Amino acid sequence: MNQPERNPLRRPVTRRDTLRVLAGSGAAAAAALTAGCGSKDERTTLRWWSPQASPDQLKAYKAQIAAFEAANPTIRVVFEATSDEGYPAQFATAFAARQLPNLVTHLPSFAAQQYYAEGLLEPVDDVIKAIGIDRYFAGANEVYRTSDKHYCATGIGNTAADMLWYRKDLLAAAGITAPPATWDELRSAAQKMQRDGIYGAALPYGMNAMTSLIFIGFIHRAGGQVFSPDLQVAIDSQPTYDALAFFQSMREFCPTGASNFSWGESLTAFVSGSTATGIYSGRVLANVAAQNPAIADAIGCTTYPTMSRDIPAWTYNDFPCLLIPKGAPHLAETKAFAASLYQPQLYAQQMHAAPGHVLPVLRAVADDGFYRANPLITRYAAEVDLMTKAATAGHNLGQETAAHKPNLKANEIIASNAIAELVQRVVLNKENPKAAVAATAVRLAELMRA
Amino acid sequence: MALIAPTILVLGAVIVYPLLSAIYLSFFSIYTPTLEGHFVGLANYRDLLGSGGFWSALVTTAIWTVGTLTLQILVGVGMALLLQQNILFRSLARGLVLFPYFLSTVVAVLVWRWLFNDLYGILNQMLMNAGIIAAPVNWLGAMPNAMLSIMVVGAWKFFPFVVIAVLARLQTIPESLYEAARIDGAGPVSRFFDVTLPQLRDVLTIVILLRTVWDFKEFDLIYLMTGGGPVNGTRTLPLIVYNQAFGLNQMGMAAAYAVSMMLVMLVFMLAYLRRANARSEADSAA
Amino acid sequence: MTTRRPNLLASLIAWPLVLIIAFPLAWMLLTSIKPAAELFTRTPQWLPRSITFEHYTRVLTETPFLQYFGNSMILAISTTVLVILVSVLGAYSLVRFRYRGRETLAALVLFTYLLPSVVLISPLYLMLVKVGLANTLASLVAAYMSFALPYALWLLRSFMAGIPEDLESAAMVDGASRMGAFVDVVLPQALPGIISTALFTFILAWNEYLYALVLVNSDEARPLTTGVMNMLISAFNIEWSLLMAASVMMSIPLVILFAFFQRYLTSSFGAGGVKG
Repeated sequence: MNQPERNPLRRPVTRRDTLRVLAGSGAAAAAALTAGCGSKDERTTLRWWSPQASPDQLKAYKAQIAAFEAANPTIRVVFEATSDEGYPAQFATAFAARQLPNLVTHLPSFAAQQYYAEGLLEPVDDVIKAIGIDRYFAGANEVYRTSDKHYCATGIGNTAADMLWYRKDLLAAAGITAPPATWDELRSAAQKMQRDGIYGAALPYGMNAMTSLIFIGFIHRAGGQVFSPDLQVAIDSQPTYDALAFFQSMREFCPTGASNFSWGESLTAFVSGSTATGIYSGRVLANVAAQNPAIADAIGCTTYPTMSRDIPAWTYNDFPCLLIPKGAPHLAETKAFAASLYQPQLYAQQMHAAPGHVLPVLRAVADDGFYRANPLITRYAAEVDLMTKAATAGHNLGQETAAHKPNLKANEIIASNAIAELVQRVVLNKENPKAAVAATAVRLAELMRA
Repeated sequence: MALIAPTILVLGAVIVYPLLSAIYLSFFSIYTPTLEGHFVGLANYRDLLGSGGFWSALVTTAIWTVGTLTLQILVGVGMALLLQQNILFRSLARGLVLFPYFLSTVVAVLVWRWLFNDLYGILNQMLMNAGIIAAPVNWLGAMPNAMLSIMVVGAWKFFPFVVIAVLARLQTIPESLYEAARIDGAGPVSRFFDVTLPQLRDVLTIVILLRTVWDFKEFDLIYLMTGGGPVNGTRTLPLIVYNQAFGLNQMGMAAAYAVSMMLVMLVFMLAYLRRANARSEADSAA
Repeated sequence: MTTRRPNLLASLIAWPLVLIIAFPLAWMLLTSIKPAAELFTRTPQWLPRSITFEHYTRVLTETPFLQYFGNSMILAISTTVLVILVSVLGAYSLVRFRYRGRETLAALVLFTYLLPSVVLISPLYLMLVKVGLANTLASLVAAYMSFALPYALWLLRSFMAGIPEDLESAAMVDGASRMGAFVDVVLPQALPGIISTALFTFILAWNEYLYALVLVNSDEARPLTTGVMNMLISAFNIEWSLLMAASVMMSIPLVILFAFFQRYLTSSFGAGGVKG
């Protein structure tokens, strides 16, 4: 029986060798692995979570943290990025395990309402008082009012997420003098501008949250609502059918791939110049400047057209807010830090990190020279002012009009994709609208009951 | 005996306990952020089985799994055979072929969505330039394109797993067996079927089993690629589990779906293993 | 061994396939060196009109990328080492020793795989908090070990089963202990299997996203996957250029690692294992 050949370069590994290597690497690994577990810092540590953490925004946050730490040497603030997709999972586990951050920003208002109703948040009345409620735009915090007369959160920014963006040069080339203000005008404009490989619009028809959120806006622009002010299901009504019919009629003016469009694709469709109109927030400005400067002088925006001139505009604002989880330590310091985020100059810098997309909630900042000196904001001053106004007056499923009670199930309704599915069934599968809407109404009722 | 103890310890702590928790949770109606709820007995299972959503998702998941698995195995074994040969710049080829597996799924999906895009994606552009299609294809927003696309991307992403395992096994097949076959006059095809394939059987059994389980459970790829759309064309069971757990905040129902998924896979696994064991016993008896 | 002539036919078949497979990598690379203005041209362009490395410098200097990179390295290496240790011993036990319930144990190990990880997260997190490991890399190592051990055990078991016992018996007749025979005879033979298992485990630990998202929240312990994603991807915006640069930097180390280790996959240890 032959022995297997041994590689002459490799001497037999003895047990002692193995143990020595293991011990060494084990010690090193143990030290490295438990890093982050129990900091040796003597200062009080506050943890700040936000899903908006692009490199530019990080810089602004660092400046705010540095200023606060300089004024409060015994406190240290640590910023931790979460994600828009993943925050429900992170929150659920954080709450369940009582590993709470001190402060969370840039979650939508309906998330705040939902968590507050579950007893998971501290009211932020003190923070608003410290900032000064008059410094906000009028009524800016109404969307955060709770049934027990507190504020579950306060706005940290506003986003006018469904503005109509249009190409002035293409409108002119098609002989259209003013941007469309009604659906019929929009449809005919899209039809006229759709040529040479350019599509008329970039509406979403995908199975995702954007479709749901955008379509809710369309129901309102037809004069309807998803729920009545006291939260009875009201989707089975004529405006919904009108909105569906409009969405269906626009399908041929949107790119083929629109049936899988989400925020990213819709944005890039307009920014790249592939569509004549877009539906988006002020993010368009920064992206056009970076990715397609050629059309930078030809873009403009307005509130999205409604079905007819007598129906008022309705803008989707997810109301990015600041909230304080209940049960996190150092409440007083947290509130102090929260208030410090609104110090005008630093707050303006935070807005500059996402110009036009995150809009100020403080009146003074919106008019402030330092804020307006930002190159993009200067260049598009009219558009930014329009968005700021529209966003402040905006709504979302959490509170569809000023008369509505807060809808605490808004997050779950969006996550269920019930409305996106309605759109896809009627527009893509050409199913009978009446049956589809009725089925959706049943589903919404179930979700409200759960 | 003591050698298996660390394994049992780790698995016991990190899997068995949460697994039992999950089964336990499935009998409750639980609100995810607080993990509080009330006992509902078998109500979750009743709703699940009677809803129709479970069964259609099961069919969708089965189609996806079979489709992508077949591609993974065929392409995986094929590439492994090719990479076994002494081709030019073999190390580089091996590194590049394995690249899809190295890439994070989130990034891979983003890149593929970009490539598939009908406006500015290179794939449609190249096909149109080559005259194969006249207008951009809607790869992800229409059926059956969406299902085929995710199958292909899934195969692209995971076939390197098959390549690595098969390649490693190919190294240990004694050259003498091939020599003997060659002397007997066997050509390359019959050498493959008579020498290579039987030697690969053990590894392929494991690989198919593992990949089936993993593909069946795959969430990230499908969720990020199509979201389960259009409508429910690619809505597989893992998407429903995640949606129930963190979208609808129904952890109990999610656990019920998960346990049902587990039972389905268990049945498959047991049947598969029994057949594989029977076959290998028959072989060694022969 | 005589060096063989390169197999040209196989090269001609293999390389086009390899290029098709690596096509998205090429796209990522090319995109990462394009200026942002060239990202979304109406007719997509392959080659950049001008080359820039600004995205790479931005990722490296303006973000905690290097910290995340270090964390991922520690995480992946620790997980791999631990999994190999535990699974090599375990697989050997499953293969060589006969004891009751051996098959059941093996099946049970695989059984743990069947539950979707989503429902395991909450109970697991609670348990880790109790143990005091929450928000550390150690918690991720524990979680990833549970993903990796079942397949490691099964894969190594199948490799070791293919190694005939005669060799160890011969070594032990020569005076080696069981452990010694294991280390000197079995390990080298099983090396391809061990390397491939190590590779899988490393990749799994390097790329895993959901558990990293939920179990670790502080930048000190955050790995690359969640770090990069959280920074560069949000609902309303994706920083494409930075993302492509970061993704290339995340992938290249793995390619290099593999290119280095794949020699051992093809080592001649196994090939001449059984003679006569």
